[in-house]
Order: sequence, then structure tokens, then C-alpha cells
Amino acid sequence: MKHTLQQVFRSGKFVVGFIIFCILLLIVLIYPLIVTDPPLTIIAQGTFFPPGIYVNTYDSVNSPSTYILNLENAGVKRIASKLSDEDRLAMQEFLIVAGVPAEDIDITNTPQLLEQWNSNYDPSKNISGMTLARSRYFQRLNTSLKGLLKPEGEILAAINADSGDLEQIGLVNQNDYVNVGEVANVRLLALGTDNFGRDMLTELVRAAGVSLLIGLVAGLVATLIGLVLGLVSGYIGGIVDDLIMFVTNLFIVIPSFVLLILISFSIGQNKRGAFTIALVIGLTSWVWTARAVRSQVISLRNRDHVNLSKLSGHSIFHIILNDILPYIASYVIMAFILQISSAILVEASLSIIGLGPRTTEVPTLGLLMNWAMIYQAHIIGKWWAYFPVLVVIALITFSMNLMNTGLDQVFNPALRE
Amino acid sequence: MKGYRKYFLNKILWLLITLVFAFILNFILPRMMPGDPVAAIVARLAQGMSNSTGMKQVYEQYTSLFGTNLPLYQQFFIYVNNALHGNFGISFSQYPRTVSDILKSSLIWTIALQFPAIIVGWIIGNTLGALAAYLKKGFDKVLLPVSIFISNFPPFGMAVILLVIFAVNLKWFPTSGGYGFDLIPNLSWKFVWSVIVHYQLPFWSIVLIAIGGQAIGMRSMSIYELNADYVKYSRFLGIKDRKIVWYVFRNAMLPQVTGLALSIGTMVSGALIAEIIFSYPGLGTTLLNGIKGQDYPLISATTLIITLMVLFANFVVELVYGLIDPRIKAAQAD
Amino acid sequence: MAKVMLEVKDLTTKYITRFRENVYAVDHVSLKVEEGKSLGIAGESGCGKSTLALSLMGYYFPPLHYTSGDIIIDGTNISTMKPDEIRKKILGQEIAYIPQAAMNALNPTRKIINLIEDVIQAHDPKAKKKEIYDLAVERFEVLGLPAEVLQKYPVELSGGMKQRTVIAISVILSPKILIADEPSSALDVTSQKMVIKMLLDLMEHGFIKSMIFITHELPLLYNVTDDIMVMYAGQIVEKGTAAQTVFDPLHPYAKGLMGSIIVPERGLRDVKLTAIPGVPPNLKNPPHGCRFAERCRYVVPECKVHPIEMLHIADNRHYRCIFSEEYLRKAYQND
Repeated sequence: MKHTLQQVFRSGKFVVGFIIFCILLLIVLIYPLIVTDPPLTIIAQGTFFPPGIYVNTYDSVNSPSTYILNLENAGVKRIASKLSDEDRLAMQEFLIVAGVPAEDIDITNTPQLLEQWNSNYDPSKNISGMTLARSRYFQRLNTSLKGLLKPEGEILAAINADSGDLEQIGLVNQNDYVNVGEVANVRLLALGTDNFGRDMLTELVRAAGVSLLIGLVAGLVATLIGLVLGLVSGYIGGIVDDLIMFVTNLFIVIPSFVLLILISFSIGQNKRGAFTIALVIGLTSWVWTARAVRSQVISLRNRDHVNLSKLSGHSIFHIILNDILPYIASYVIMAFILQISSAILVEASLSIIGLGPRTTEVPTLGLLMNWAMIYQAHIIGKWWAYFPVLVVIALITFSMNLMNTGLDQVFNPALRE
Repeated sequence: MKGYRKYFLNKILWLLITLVFAFILNFILPRMMPGDPVAAIVARLAQGMSNSTGMKQVYEQYTSLFGTNLPLYQQFFIYVNNALHGNFGISFSQYPRTVSDILKSSLIWTIALQFPAIIVGWIIGNTLGALAAYLKKGFDKVLLPVSIFISNFPPFGMAVILLVIFAVNLKWFPTSGGYGFDLIPNLSWKFVWSVIVHYQLPFWSIVLIAIGGQAIGMRSMSIYELNADYVKYSRFLGIKDRKIVWYVFRNAMLPQVTGLALSIGTMVSGALIAEIIFSYPGLGTTLLNGIKGQDYPLISATTLIITLMVLFANFVVELVYGLIDPRIKAAQAD
Repeated sequence: MAKVMLEVKDLTTKYITRFRENVYAVDHVSLKVEEGKSLGIAGESGCGKSTLALSLMGYYFPPLHYTSGDIIIDGTNISTMKPDEIRKKILGQEIAYIPQAAMNALNPTRKIINLIEDVIQAHDPKAKKKEIYDLAVERFEVLGLPAEVLQKYPVELSGGMKQRTVIAISVILSPKILIADEPSSALDVTSQKMVIKMLLDLMEHGFIKSMIFITHELPLLYNVTDDIMVMYAGQIVEKGTAAQTVFDPLHPYAKGLMGSIIVPERGLRDVKLTAIPGVPPNLKNPPHGCRFAERCRYVVPECKVHPIEMLHIADNRHYRCIFSEEYLRKAYQND
């Protein structure tokens, strides 16, 4: 046993797969201890906030101490963030239509460009063929350009309770800074928020955990059924074998996905918990294990040590437990690993067509994918809503397949190149 | 030819058995569940659907068509009879269209998309796998990890990524549909071109899904065959290397054909989801619509059609296999 | 003196493992087979005898590589020939091979006649199918194989029939030397006998001129071949006529091996060659001195100091040991 483990860990493929898997598992276990928020709480008002550090504006303005930093290119950056190259090209296009000679326009010269814009822009002016959306864009651009080059800060004002007048209570200069560490409310949304406004990272970690559990339960169920049927079929043989093999071959050609769809749909959305889905997946994916176990058992059935055990009058149970199981253990473990990874994929596929676990309790990788697809995250460019999910799924299945390939090379040296 | 006839009859018998079971499963599974279709339809009636007269008509039609007040075995014969006549009732969600009408318009898209894609994927995958096994150095080192990664990538993930890269970012292809939404199906050049353009992304994502698994299988099959005893012996007989390589790839290919028969069900399910991602007007999207609309007759009929498609495809592959593997004829002749 | 059909001088070949280590499985082997004679090679599994069989073909593919030495077939040194020239002119035509696992030696998806066509056309692209068919039928009939076999796939043949078919295909071009690597080990007793008889017939019919027969089943070797050679850890340790090697072995390993044959009891074939305690040395890093020293019961410290040279005591009688002939004979008698 110890020797086998040593051999297994000498296989590079297995070790790489094992490390990836362990890292994933550690994250799933440790992250909830650090970020304790429930994964399905809606925190954002709005959909698909991009990933980043969110600093509370109110707290920043009211931060206990402000700092003055005279940074050289602060102004340039400020202008760039409001006036992108795309905007400049659009302005140039508008100015040319408005009659400014093309050679007079230098889009890199900001003051000149703004000056030309201010004297030529007219919201009522129509460029032929300009869509409504385009003219709205120019209106918005025009508003955002107001005061872009002014050197003064912004005045903070409050309404005087007695007189109802606005009174200046402070001034924020262009070179005022706060230290993020001193701002009371800062939230890191490493993967932004999803379509419902939930923290994507927290949700993803929880979903990975749930999906792994689904895989584990489905894998256990499938492996158990497959193992028992394979053992019975292979060891007893005869009509029992014929019957079991008939059923097995039947379920090999009838697509299990179709069975899954029918069963999941019939159970109904309200009764479909993550656990139920895992059970259903397990119940529909045991065929390959049964077949593999059966052929292994048949090749073992007439080996000397099994015959010896039979002659010694051991019970079938004893023989299977002591003389057969240890010899097929490696196959069963490999089949189990494959079942886990394929169950995770199946759950995801089911969820995408809307037959996954009910959506109110826990997220799964499939559900995250389903939500992202329904809200068209992929089409409107909100990559953080679907891409990390795909990467996590791929990493889980990739690591498991690597482990499996490694095990295969250790246990079936004939297949080694 | 006697051997092949026996093989053929054997396969036909197996096809019939599987067909019968496909019907039984399709019939019985939903009825074994707590929320059976009749209960579902009654529930919808009770909810006072916007189109409640329509719903009532559907309910009456459903009761008479499926004989839901008769014993189960009689229901089954009615069901089989109806199914064989292409009569699947009226859709709940797309009332008053009949289910067979909806399926008719989507089946052709699925067949035109999936079967060529699976076959192309199978061919490319096997060629790459064989090359990887034969060329070994370099090519194998690059190709193997890539195809392991690709084959582990969820099928829908491949579709999403192709869509994001080629449709959303590069804008080379449209993001969804089977043809331009402003067109009406006809035989004009414009329509055909639109169909071709819309075909590309779903097609290639299914091809990619198929390639990964096949390439890995073919590679290990070829390595296994390259190390087979007959290769060494043939070399020592002085047979040319090129001829031996041909032996090897032919022999490695044969198990891959049976492999195709066995994996066609999985590939089709993956491809259905790719259809959904691209909103391709095939069975996958129809199925999704059925699920969204809680449309029991539509789901039941779609899954039945998918099963039949897979069973027939499987049957055809087995027949082809019998033709190309000489051992089948020989083994059956005794 | 008879014509020498095959002469091998100091042939060394190696395996290069996945970890780029060199394993010299055939280490400076020399041998000679005369026309009309047969040579048996015996040894435990892993002693390099199968590798020697492969190396004698002069046609190497990874992981086996040629290192040094000469292979001379009927006066032609093939070690200096290009691989494709060897393939075209030598293999199957001058020297032929019967593999250890004949069960899987035939391409399962090719009819026997098509394989024979491939073999003949590889050497003579202009050969006509009709001529090939006639030749095959004639050859099969002479060797007592039904002509229907030609139209069958290997899967349709029984084990013994497959083995005999393999032999018939190997000698279809009437090669000068046949190398048979345990051709009968996987068969039942009746089939074994038929295969051996067929091999002896080949010489009688003149389809081959000389034969090398490799096996670990000693009774077989004594009855079949003229000379016997014993291999241990990639080296030849003893050479002589069949009778000499079996009844008067000199090298302690040969003595240990042959010890079992003197007892012609039931179950002899199961004793095989494992009667000597211990395992052969690892050829990745062979011992500097005598390779058998670790397992030898007559070992003295000097055995492990220098590589042991082959002693030449009579024409066609060699052994590799530091002790003299007399000393060894006396030692064996005292046991």
C-alpha cells in the first residue's frame, strides 16, 4: 500500500493534478472563513459592476485627514479618463462636419480641441445619417467636458437648516488625496458583481464547493451502483450477468442526458435541490463503471487465489471483499475520479438549459453560468460573470483527468509509452 | 456476405429493442414523478393563464389524445401510436402550434448542424491523434496537453469563448440565430449566405468539442498499435515502413469507429447546448424554450426525437463498422 | 569444412531508456552457424537472448540501437549496409525471424495471402499476384498447411495454426538463416510438437539453410539443435555441442541451469530456469568482474576484480570463468 502510494506520487501528471485540486479545495474551505457574507446576498444596486476596489465616496470626502500631493501628471490623467482617444476622434469627425478645416484640428492638443469644440458644438446641428444614439452620445460628451480644464477644486455645500440656503462647508482641491486605509468603507470586489448585484467571487467560491459536493455525491452513487452491478454480473455470471449486461448496454446507447432532462423536468423546479440533482446524475451515469468492473472481475474470477479461496469454503462476500476488491480497487478509484469530474460538467449542462438545482438556496457553477447566459454577460462584455466560472470548471476537470492519467500510467504500465 | 447479413440482422434486432425501450422510458419517466404532466397542466389551468380558453382546449385535446383517464398500459399504446404518426399534441407554450410543427422546423437545423460537425470533428481529431502518435517528439508534446485541456473544457465553455472572440470582439460572425433576423427563409443568395455565416461558429465549436476527445483516444490507440507485435514482425519481414504505418492507422481507426458509436450520445448532448448558446434554431433551443415554458408535450417529444436520432446514428455507425472491419464478417460466418 | 552461413563478431547492442540510460543487453557476442546446422541459445528470461535475436537481424529501431560488431551472412557483412538496403535485400530474403508471440504477430485486419503479397512485393515490386498465390499455395502444401488458410484472417485461425502460418510466411522467400525466438512457448503440447517438427522440416526441404533457436525450455533445445550456447546478463557464458553443454557444462551458471535436465521427471518443464537462487544483475550498471559472481556458489574474491574473458578449450568449446576446466569438474563432482 505504502509502496503504491509512493509510485503514484512519483507520477508527474498525478502530482500536478493533485496540487491543482488541493489548491482549489483549500480555497473552497478557507475562503468562507475569511469572507463570511452569505454568497447570495445582493449588495450592489445594479448589475455587473466591474471588478475592482470600491471606495466609499462619502467616507473619502469626510476622511479625518486629507493629504496634498503635487503629482506632475495628475491633470493629464484626469483629462484622459474623461476624454478618451475615441472621444477625440468623434469630436474631430463632428468638427469637420461643422466646417472646421481638417488641417486645423489637432486631436492631441487638448486646450485647442476643447476651444474648437466649445465654439462649434451645437446640439441642434444634425449630421446626415447620424443615429439618435450618436447624437445622444455627443450631448453626453459635451456635458462631461464642462470644466475639464479649470484649475479650481469643487466646493462642498450643505443646506443651512435655519435659512434653507446653501452654505459652503468645505473645498476639495484637485491635489487633495485620502489614504484608502483611513477610509472607513472600502470593499474589494475582485470579480465584480453578477447580474443580481451579488459579490461574484464569494458566489464563485461557494459554487465551486457546492459543485464539488454534487460531483462527490453523484460520483459515489454512480460508483457504488456500478461496482455492485459489475461485481454481481461478473462474479455470478449466467442469467444474472445477461440481464445486467442487457440493461447496461441499453443505457449506453440511450443518451443519459435525455434521461436526465426527463427526470429533472418531472421532479419540478421546487423539489430540485442540489442533493437531488446529484442523486439523479449518479443514477444515470453508472453504466461505464459497471462495464469496466465486470470485465475486470471476469478476468479475476478464475485466478488461482480466487479458486483457492473458493475451495477453502469462504463465503461469496468474503471472496469478493478479500480476493477481488483489492485487485480492482485501482480501477474503481480511477472510475470514481472520472465520475466526479463528469458529474460536475453534467450539472453545469443541466443548469444551462434551466433544469439545474433550484436557484434560491446555493449557487452552483452551472447556475452561475446559466445566470450569466440569461443576462447575456458574454454578449455585453461582462467577462467576470462567466469566464472565471469556465476557468474553475476547466481546472477541476483538468486536475481530475491529470490525476487519472497519472494513476493509469502507474497501474497499467503496459500503456506507458 | 453471409457473415455480414447475420451481423446486420443482429444490429437491426438490437435497434428495435433499444427503440422500444426508448419509447417506454420516454413515456414512463415523467409519469413516475410526483409532478406528472396532467397535474402540471391542471395546475396551469388553475393559475388562470392569460389564455385560459386556449389552455382549456389544450387540456381537452391532451386528455383525448393521450387518454390520460385510461389505465397506464392503454395510455402507452395510444402514446406509441400517436408518436409513430408524428402526433405529439399541441404545445402549451406556443399555442396553437402543434408540437410536430415546431419540431419539423427545428429538426432540419439540428441535423444539418450536428452530424457534419461531429463527423468533421471525428476526422480531424483522429488525424491529429495519429500524427501525434507517429511524429511523437515536439508535435506530441504540444498537441497532447492542448487536447487534454480542450477535452476537459466544458462543451458550452468552448461555444461561449468562440462566441466572445469571433462574434462579440472581432465581429466576424453573428452572435446568434440560424439566419439574419430580418430575413424570411427562402432560396435567395442573400438568405443562403446569411445561413452560411450563422452556421460557422456553432459548427466549429461542435467540431472542437469532438476533436479533443477523439485526438486523445486515437493517439493512445495508435501508440498501442505501433507497439503491437505485428509491427515488429512486419518490419522483420522487410515490409516497407509506409505500408506498416498504414496497417497501424487502419487498425487504430477501427476501435475509434466503435468509439464514435458509443460517444455519439454524449456528443449530441454537448452539441445541443452549443445550439442553445448560439440560439441556433435547432432542437437544443426548442428544448430550452420548452423548459422555460413548462411545455411538457414539447419536451417529451424533443427528447424522444433526440433519442431516436442518436439510436439511428449509432445503428448506421455500427453498420459501417461491420463493413470496414473484416473481422466482423469473418467472426460471424462460423 | 562446411560453409559458414552466419558469423557474428563482437556484436554489442544497447537499449536507450526513457531516462537516456544505456542498457547493453547484448555485450560482445560472437557466434558462428554453419550450413545445415542449428544453434540453440538458452538463458533465463531477461538474459538478453531475445534481444540477441532482434540484434542478429541487423535492422534496429528504438529503443534498440547498434553499437559495434559485425554480422556476416554467407560472406556479406551487413553491419555496414544502410537500413533501407537491409530491409530490401536482407530481411526475409537472407535472414528471417519468428517472433516470440506469434499469436499477435499477424496484422489482424489483413488476409494471410495479402500479407504474403506485401512481403514479396516489398522485395520484388514487379511480382505478380498470380505468381505469388501459386508460390504460397505450393509452399503451404509442402509444409502441410491447408491452402484455405491463405484466404482467412488471423482471427479465424487456431493458435497452433497461426504459429505454423507465421513460420510459413517467414520462410516464404527461402532465407538462408531462420531465427526462431521461443516459437512454441505459448502453445499446448501437441501444437508445440507440430511446430518443432515443422522447423526441422524446413531444413530438410531446403527452405532454410541454418537455424538459431532461442528458448528457455531445455528438453526442447537438446532434441532440436546441434550446438547450444548459454547466455547470462547479455554475455555468452558457455558454448559447445548440445551434448557437451547439457551433460558436461563448465560454467557454474550453465551447470545450475542444466542441473534440472538430468532429472527427467514429471513437471520438469515447470522447473524452468529459476532453480538458481537470486536475480540477474541490473544491466544499467553491470558488475565490473564476473556478472554471475553474486549468485555463484563457487565464488572467490578474485572473481569480482577483472572482467572475465572467454576461455577457448577446444574447437567449438568455450566458457567464461576464472576457474580451470579440471577445477570446475572436480568441484561439481564433490557436490
